Amino acid sequence: MKKISIDPITRLEGHGKIEIFLDEEGNVANAYLIIPELRGFEKFAEGRPVEEMPRITPRICGVCPEAHHMASAKACDAVYHVEVPPTGKKLRELLYSAFYVADHTVHFYILAAPDFVLGPDAPPAERNILGLIHKVGLEIGGKVIRSRGMGMDIIGMLGGKTVHPVGALPGGVSKAINEQERAQIEAWGHELVEFGQFSLQLFHDVVLENKVYLDMILSDAYTTPMYYMGLVDENNKVNFYDGLVRVVDPAGNEFVKYAPEEYLDVVAEHVEPWTYLKFPYLKEVGWKGLVTGKDSGVYQATPLSRLNAADGIATPLAQEAYEEFYETMGGKPVHNTLAIHWARLIELLYAAERIVELATDPEITNPHVRNIPTETPDEGVGIVEAPRGTLTHHYITDQKGIVEKCNLIVGTTNNHAPISISIKKAAEALIKKGQVISEGLLNRVEMAFRAYDPCMACATHTLPGQMPLEVIIHDADGEVVEQLTQYLD
Amino acid sequence: MARTVIIGLGNPILTDDGVGIHVVRAVAAQCQRDDVTFAEASVGGLRLLDVIAGYERVIMVDAIQTRDGKAGNLYRLHPSDLEASLHSGSTHDLSLPGALALGRGMGMVLPDDEAIVIIAIEAEDVLIFGEVCTPAVATAIPRAVEAVLAELEAGEP
Repeated sequence: MKKISIDPITRLEGHGKIEIFLDEEGNVANAYLIIPELRGFEKFAEGRPVEEMPRITPRICGVCPEAHHMASAKACDAVYHVEVPPTGKKLRELLYSAFYVADHTVHFYILAAPDFVLGPDAPPAERNILGLIHKVGLEIGGKVIRSRGMGMDIIGMLGGKTVHPVGALPGGVSKAINEQERAQIEAWGHELVEFGQFSLQLFHDVVLENKVYLDMILSDAYTTPMYYMGLVDENNKVNFYDGLVRVVDPAGNEFVKYAPEEYLDVVAEHVEPWTYLKFPYLKEVGWKGLVTGKDSGVYQATPLSRLNAADGIATPLAQEAYEEFYETMGGKPVHNTLAIHWARLIELLYAAERIVELATDPEITNPHVRNIPTETPDEGVGIVEAPRGTLTHHYITDQKGIVEKCNLIVGTTNNHAPISISIKKAAEALIKKGQVISEGLLNRVEMAFRAYDPCMACATHTLPGQMPLEVIIHDADGEVVEQLTQYLD
Repeated sequence: MARTVIIGLGNPILTDDGVGIHVVRAVAAQCQRDDVTFAEASVGGLRLLDVIAGYERVIMVDAIQTRDGKAGNLYRLHPSDLEASLHSGSTHDLSLPGALALGRGMGMVLPDDEAIVIIAIEAEDVLIFGEVCTPAVATAIPRAVEAVLAELEAGEP
């Protein structure tokens, strides 16, 4: 069996690796994503006061500390059986919406857009945000920096710090906002709504208006039907901060809807000997390997899956975009991996609209933002939607609130199997017997992986906007017969 | 406003990954200058750009893993060498050179590349959670502190 290894720079830990195995005929036999898993967090957490967890867990990941902060605070609320006052909840959701704006902006403009604006076959040196600015104009770079900056400033205002927020505590948040802060957030919110609309328009003009790209999105190489997971509110509308987790089957029918504390009844984790990272799957359907479809318990947790799992979006402009999305893509659910980018921009608009809604809520400046916990702590689960998928924190404590057991299912882990499947599908369609493996071809395989915005160990090396890749082709005896690298210099 | 920012990069609960933060905390405890700000950051790219914007001079301390490196080795680098630094890049963001280029293109006030120095310490374990460094890396912390202090004294812009 021949082996193609798409491997980032080998001198560094903390990076992902794509391995593609060819059969005797030179066609793709299998493909795997190998992510180095950070280890020992559960042990690290044991013996610590549970109220410290919202400050410790954001350190797990430098990319989405806000998501861990929120999931952890919600798990602590549950551990202490304390209800967060309405304004406390709204301030948490406001911070979280600002985080979504900042995070989705960075992913789309830094990582996704260059493939479409410059083209997947453009030289890597040009296929980045600087190339994008060069092509589209300097103004776009200013919009990206300003919009992300406004999101980060709202996080700093509400969370105390922009890097690792500390604002959420068991029972609420530590600080209320005054009228001046509220007015500032509202003004930024309006600007961010405009930016969300601008981003969707850009996607229209550059991607959807280009038949080559639209065909690529719709092509079989990037199509993988599976189960879809996402948090929904009481009307089954998309929600990032609160609600029940809904899963729909590959035909779009509701499969299950569960409360955070029921997660272990629904989700189990499969272990493979070749990776530390587990493969979560739907218990009732069962683990059938790295395959998709109704009989495989593999589910996806991405912006696309959140739209698929919901019946709509609660804000008007994002709802319009949602309807247009399904109309263009030919109905629900959508199974196209590259459509995750489009879904991400619809979520960006929703998050911006939500900032305005929350900033204009009559209760938002109410000083009652926290209920002090009085119950004896024991056990609790908190779930939010991280930008990269459903994030679950589960803590068990003794009667003094000291952590005895901790279990986390993080965003990217949900997508471990789907990413592997999507890579295999793309590789199968693109790499054929006798095919010359070009840089552009590799990038197209990588696009299947990048759409998920996978969060590997945060300490990951990359050159502007791209994962460094190395492709090694082994013959049947394991000898290297061809070596192809990109972004290594 | 202070003219120099000294940034510890990394994750203080991920064994050697946090060595940069441990070093900068130790420097901060010894350094009483009004013209120096101390900061901590976890990843590079735009998040790091936020921290360095407006300063004339930057000293960053980060963990590094090189191909045949020996744990505890020290390196002195500039952004142009940064492809080897652990936190200068991120799969979710720009590398530091990319972020600097973007920021300058957008008219942000940023220090020149020569005014950005990275003191990097060869790490051994960056995958297992823990609050202390491995012995070889821990031994390097006082040397790295000296290197940062010397850099601060020597390299006035």
